[in-house]
Amino acid sequence: MTPALLSLAWKSLGNRAVSVTLTVATIALSVMLFLSVERVRAGVSDGFNSTISETDLIVGARSGAINLLLYSVFHLGDPTANISWDSYELIDTAPNVSWTVPISLGDSHRGFRVVGTTTGFFDHYKYGRSRALDMRDGRPFTGLHQAVIGAEVARQLDYDLGDEILLAHGIGRVSFSEHSDHDFEIVGVLAPTGTPIDRSVLVSLESIEAIHVGWEAGAAPRRGADAGLPDDLTPDSVTAVLVGLDSPIRVLALQRQINTYEGEALSAVLPGVALSQLWRVVGVAERAFVAVSILVIVVGLCGILTALSAGLNERRREMAVLRAVGARSGDVFFLLIIEAMTIALLGAMVGVLIATGGFAILSPLIAARYGFDLPVMPGWTDLAVVAILTPTGAAFGAWPAWRALRNALVDGLSIRI
Amino acid sequence: MTSPAVSITSLTHSWPGSDPVLDIRQFHVGSGESVFLVGPSGSGKSTLLGLIAGVTPVQSGQVDVLGEAMLPKKPQKRDALRASRLGVIFQMFNLVPYLNAVENTLLPLQFSADRRKRLQDSGVDGPDEARRLLRELGLGDASLGKRATDLSVGQQQRVAAARALIGGPGLVIADEPTSALDHSARDAFIALLMAECEARGAALLFVSHDETLARHFDRKVDLREINVAGVAA
Repeated sequence: MTPALLSLAWKSLGNRAVSVTLTVATIALSVMLFLSVERVRAGVSDGFNSTISETDLIVGARSGAINLLLYSVFHLGDPTANISWDSYELIDTAPNVSWTVPISLGDSHRGFRVVGTTTGFFDHYKYGRSRALDMRDGRPFTGLHQAVIGAEVARQLDYDLGDEILLAHGIGRVSFSEHSDHDFEIVGVLAPTGTPIDRSVLVSLESIEAIHVGWEAGAAPRRGADAGLPDDLTPDSVTAVLVGLDSPIRVLALQRQINTYEGEALSAVLPGVALSQLWRVVGVAERAFVAVSILVIVVGLCGILTALSAGLNERRREMAVLRAVGARSGDVFFLLIIEAMTIALLGAMVGVLIATGGFAILSPLIAARYGFDLPVMPGWTDLAVVAILTPTGAAFGAWPAWRALRNALVDGLSIRI
Repeated sequence: MTSPAVSITSLTHSWPGSDPVLDIRQFHVGSGESVFLVGPSGSGKSTLLGLIAGVTPVQSGQVDVLGEAMLPKKPQKRDALRASRLGVIFQMFNLVPYLNAVENTLLPLQFSADRRKRLQDSGVDGPDEARRLLRELGLGDASLGKRATDLSVGQQQRVAAARALIGGPGLVIADEPTSALDHSARDAFIALLMAECEARGAALLFVSHDETLARHFDRKVDLREINVAGVAA
């Protein structure tokens, strides 16, 4: 009986093309919304959790893991204290340590954080799946008064290679005390990464040190006071240190060693662990988005109820005719269930198609501008949506189908008009 | 001996919450016989047809159709018998609106493997047989592919007749099939239907309130005479 019912259901839907198309479109749009939210969520979550990768430890002054991660990687909030240069050198020369990158924070340029570091930063800072920083224009800094800016800084402030900028003390958007004697030349612009690096101005540690000469009192030096720079611009302290090891097996041992170091109160955290802890806090919003988009799908499915229920009275004659030619009462029920399923299946598939098409167009644009990689091709989620939505659609058809069945039993062969 | 097309004994039926509409001691349609059943509206004609066709379950009494009992607890069996060996024609709106003339005619074959098999055994292909029947009943080639809603009422009734006849049913039930037709079309339709049923050896149970049609049939039965429901004892 089933092939007969399938072809009947298909032709019956074709007969009501307009209302069926509208219902399919409603479901398709809700599915597209859900899949878009889901893909962006996955992309953001992936991007977030790999804001920093291949760094084995982040070391800072003693504080909580999330706090350390927030100020050293996300450039949010202030460090509790600095690490002395001696401690840094101790870490740098510790056995099994392959590389270290010191970071010095505290200055800003028009609201964007200035990161004092070494050129090792460009070699060792990785994000995503081991992606290295990509220089869009220019080159890394090599000396004093040279800066490399992130993609977002370049875009928002419309900066280009060779432009000169001033750095300000403190991190406010409006700076009251600019290091006005110290112009920095932009020598490099980074490609977008989707990480806080996009919003950073990178300079050498020595540059940071140089512009603060004479500021030891905590206020701007009197004019002419910086007549000469000291020969040694090695800083006394840094804010945090990124550490890479020869072998990941040694990470926990070194972490314990640093955490229990008696010379200075230090904390070493595993970036991956800290990131996922932080995501548990930030990720609440994404779950809210997913919940809302699931509700939108439910609203779309209610369209099936409307579309099938609306035609039910006009179809009583049709059902009596089908009964007369031998259809069982169950066939009448399943005819409507199949119609509901077909609408849901079509809606889900069209939704997946629109989402895939949309992301094929948008993904490269988003990647170019924000450094996010959003998946284009349909994945398991899309398959699951189609697989779950089709029987759910059938369930939504159950009520009108049951009413049609009851009508058919009451009507018998007599056709009510 | 061939079983009678319809054999009813001591049948009573009432719809929930109302007095009995049917109380029939005996009713009989012989094999291949054409019977004209007359009765005013509200006399229980439709209920009787529903019981004979197996759409409505029998409450009490015995209804045998083509030698098989229409048992109340066996809806599947009743549906299968209807699909396989009955043909039903209504007063109007006989057709499924989104199917064309040929597809409508083929419907009973889709619900009954027996009916398909009978056609196959006689060496005929379903769609060919549908077209042949429709032509025989006077439907032009141009109308065969038309959707039901694009056919005139007269054409629709012919398609309904073709559908009832396809695959050689033993009994055709026609419920006021001509009341939507004008006078000349009515006589032509009845003549055609009779001829087709006769040629196939199918019994015909023709229900109408219009007694002038009775002359076409082997026998006339007045429902008011056999149905004693509502008659004071």
